[in-house]
Amino acid sequence: MAGAVSPSRRACIVGVGETRYARWGGIDDASEYSLAIEAILAALSDAGIDVSAVDGLCSFAGDRNESTFVAADLGIDELRYTTMSWLPGGGGASAAVTDAAMAVEAGQADVVVVYRSLCQGQFRRFGRGPGNERRARPTRLPGVRRSKGLIDTHLAFTLPFGVFGPPIAYAMVMQRHMHRYGTTAEHMGHVAVTTRAHAARNPRAVMGSRPMTMDDYLASRMVAEPFRLFDCCLENDGACAVVVTSEEQAADLRQRAVAVLAGAQGTVRGYGHGQFCNVNMDDDDYTSAGARTVAARLWGRAGIGPHDVDVAQVYDHFTGLVLLSLEDFGFCGRGEGGPFAASGALAWPDGSVPTNTHGGSLSEAYIHGLNHVVEGVRQLRGQSTCQVEGAETCLVTSAAGVPTSALVLGRA
Amino acid sequence: MTARWFPDEMPMPAASAETAGWWQAAADHRLVVQRCLACGATRHPPGPVCPRCRSADAELAVLPGTGTVYTFTVVHQAFIPSLGDRVPYVVAAVDLDGAGGARLVTNLVDVAPEEVRIGMPVTVAWEDMGPELALPRFRPVQEPR
Repeated sequence: MAGAVSPSRRACIVGVGETRYARWGGIDDASEYSLAIEAILAALSDAGIDVSAVDGLCSFAGDRNESTFVAADLGIDELRYTTMSWLPGGGGASAAVTDAAMAVEAGQADVVVVYRSLCQGQFRRFGRGPGNERRARPTRLPGVRRSKGLIDTHLAFTLPFGVFGPPIAYAMVMQRHMHRYGTTAEHMGHVAVTTRAHAARNPRAVMGSRPMTMDDYLASRMVAEPFRLFDCCLENDGACAVVVTSEEQAADLRQRAVAVLAGAQGTVRGYGHGQFCNVNMDDDDYTSAGARTVAARLWGRAGIGPHDVDVAQVYDHFTGLVLLSLEDFGFCGRGEGGPFAASGALAWPDGSVPTNTHGGSLSEAYIHGLNHVVEGVRQLRGQSTCQVEGAETCLVTSAAGVPTSALVLGRA
Repeated sequence: MTARWFPDEMPMPAASAETAGWWQAAADHRLVVQRCLACGATRHPPGPVCPRCRSADAELAVLPGTGTVYTFTVVHQAFIPSLGDRVPYVVAAVDLDGAGGARLVTNLVDVAPEEVRIGMPVTVAWEDMGPELALPRFRPVQEPR
C-alpha cells in the first residue's frame, strides 16, 4: 500500500475461501465458530499456505469469534498480530484487510488471515433478539434504567420509537434522498434486479436460482417505506476469509497475487455511529453514505479515480445505499445515483462499472461484506462467474451509513 | 392518547450520566436540548463536552415543543410479534424549533401514514409510560384556515 515500503514487503491477497452459504437457519450441523475455522482453512488451502505459517488474525467490530480462541483452536504456533476494527457491523471489512496489510508491510506479521462468520439462524440479529421482548408491566415501570454502554445510551433515542435496526433507520435516509433529489423506487429496483442477474451465474449465491424482474421487485411487500423486501439484503448463514501476505512470500504460492493498492477508513465530522442511530448531522452527510472523506483519501492513495476502475463491489445491505455509495465514491454526482443505476452502468458485462458481480449481500450472501473482498480478488485473478474481461483494478466498499472503509485492489 | 400507543413489550430507554437529565425533563413533559454555556452550540443526544468548543459547561434549554418533519418512514413489518396489530406506524426525525438544528427521532400520532410529508409542522404529544418516564411523540399542527 505505502510507497515507502520495500517492494518485497508490499501487501497482497493470496488466498480466499468460504463455507457454503445458506439462508437464515439453513446451517444447523455446524456452529458459527466452526464455520469461521472452516473458512480460514479454505482460504489457506486456496493460497497453498500451511496453517502453521499464520501469525496474524484480523476481524471487525462485533465479531463473536475472538481471534485468540481461533489461534488456539487452529494450533497457530505464535500469534504476533491481531486487531478488531471499531468500525461497526459491515463498515469494517475493508478496514480489517487494511489492518492486515499494514501489519505485513510494517513487519508485525507475515501471514494474516481476515475472517467473518455470520450465522443469523444461531444468533439472530440486532433488534430481533428475545432481549427486546421484555415483559415490562406498565404499572411497574421503574423509570429509565441505567445504560449498559454508549450504544445502549444512543439507542434509547430510537428503539423505544420502534426503530428496530437498519431497515427502518436507512428507510428514513432514502426518504430524505428521494425528497431532495427525486430518487425513485425503480432506481433502487435496478440495483436489486441487476444484482440478482449476477447471482444467477454464481453457484454459491443463496438466491442464484431465484430470478427477479422489475415487476417482481415492485410487487414485493413493503418493510419500511420506501424499502420493500427486495431492497433489503439477505439474512443467512456462512463464513469467508482472505489471506494477506507480502509479495516476497506470494511469489511461490498457488494463486496469482492481488495487490492491496489502497485502503482508507473513518467518518465525517459528527457522524457517530452513522445514520443507524444518528439523525443529527449535516443534511448533505445524512443523505450520503458517510464515505465522502474516506473516498477522497482512498483515491488519493491509489493514484486513480472512480472512472479508472474496471469493476466494483459496493456494500449492499440496502439497494438505496448502493446509490449513495456510488455518489460518495464519485461515479456520479450528488443525487445522481438513481439515474446512474437506471442507465445500466452496474450491469455485467456491458455496464461502465459492473458492480457486485457475485450477487452482493442482496443475492449472494450477507457476510458483512467480506465476501465483497473475496469477489474483488476473484475478479483480478480472472475467476469470477461474471468475469470482467481484463479487469486490472477493483473498488471494494464496506457498509454505507455507518463508519466505513474501502479498498482498491489491483493485479500484483 | 389514553391507550398506549405501542405494546408494552417495546424496548424502554436507558440513560447514562450524560443523558439522565434529558429523560428526567421528559418525565416532566419538558422537551429540552443540551446547549453549551460557553459557545451556545446545541447537541443531541447530550454528551460530556461541546463538540465545537470542548467546554463541559452546559444547560438543558427548554424548547417550545414544535418542529417540522425532516424525514420519516412508514413501518409495515412487525419486527416484534406484539407489533402485529400496530403496523403500519410512522417513525420520523423532527427538526426541533429553537434547538439550533437539533433533531429528534419520534413517532407521529393522530395522522394517517399516507398524509405524512417532509416539512409538515408538528407539535409534541407526551405519552406517560409510568411515574418516571414519558416519551415525546408528535402530532401534526392544525393548519389555520
